[in-house]
Amino acid sequence: MIQPQTHLNVADNSGARKLMCIRIIGASNRRYAKIGDVVVAVIKEAIPNTPLERSEVIRAVIVRTCKELKRDNGMIIRYDDNAAVVIDQEGNPKGTRIFGAIARELRQLNFTKIVSLAPEVL
Amino acid sequence: MAVSLTSTLAGAGACEIRHLCCFEPPPRLTQAPTKLSPSRLSHFKCFWQTPQSKTLTFLSSTRFSSSIPATGKDADDGFLQNVGEDTDEMFDKLFDRYGKVVYRRNDKKSASAEVDDDAESLSFAVALAKVASEVKAGDIKVLFVKPLVYWTRFFIIATAFSRPQIDAIGSKIRDMAEKKYGKVPSGDAKPNSWTLLDFGDVVVHIFLPEQRAFYNLEEFYGNATLIELPFENQPPPFRG
Repeated sequence: MIQPQTHLNVADNSGARKLMCIRIIGASNRRYAKIGDVVVAVIKEAIPNTPLERSEVIRAVIVRTCKELKRDNGMIIRYDDNAAVVIDQEGNPKGTRIFGAIARELRQLNFTKIVSLAPEVL
Repeated sequence: MAVSLTSTLAGAGACEIRHLCCFEPPPRLTQAPTKLSPSRLSHFKCFWQTPQSKTLTFLSSTRFSSSIPATGKDADDGFLQNVGEDTDEMFDKLFDRYGKVVYRRNDKKSASAEVDDDAESLSFAVALAKVASEVKAGDIKVLFVKPLVYWTRFFIIATAFSRPQIDAIGSKIRDMAEKKYGKVPSGDAKPNSWTLLDFGDVVVHIFLPEQRAFYNLEEFYGNATLIELPFENQPPPFRG
């Protein structure tokens, strides 16, 4: 349940550390984003001397949410944090590696690039 | 970062659950992993290795006859250091004696069916790689990543030297897969600096040279087996 003003951790090595969601891409007036949705976000905190800087506006894919993700087989996945991966306009990740576990739903949503860089897929 | 994963028994997607065996989630990664390693299960061993030491064999009559499974707190530090290479066999023996499968997924394929599927995917992957080499893709690598990741079997990594070439390789591969194998990929529809075609069991990555060096997928999947390609020994295509 990510909405504008939600702060997100960054789950890659792009250089950004904290993001704030400012818009959800998709239907107009959409309220919440979940895992696999693209959001427009602003970088609130960044590692110094990296290509990404504070207050830059970027696109990001949600990869982990505190709100539980339900699967058809009854499995429920809930993470401890809200995290996103920074992508460019073409959908390529800005970082080269992803941190932490991500859900396999990202593959069905055509984010196989993120899945192939992740250390663990649930 | 921790993950909580709840599931009903019918949907327990992980693996078989046995007595004497407690699966823990892997330790959290705090920094960038340089390589995916196939020995993900190594920490599971640590958890149930307590009964494997030789000193325990004579204790087993007392400890196991009462059918109390040994847990981590029973283990001495000395036992933990005593991890040899033959531990797997010992664990198997212990499982045979004390372990019992209480739940097994019934949609699991038999070993021979798995091998057949692997062979089929391999021939498909090699055919795709051959098509890529016909369109003069450079440095084609076919990796067997099934031991590292569960979600696919083969990776094909290739370099193209321009966007039109990426388009050509992508469309040729799509056409061939659809005509000969009846498979339609998901992934990038438009040529991209990193174009990905996802055929399910085979995932094709086509990079521009800079992106290939930037993402360095070969290093990340460094533990994967490299498949020898039959056409590899031919001289590289001439580029002016």
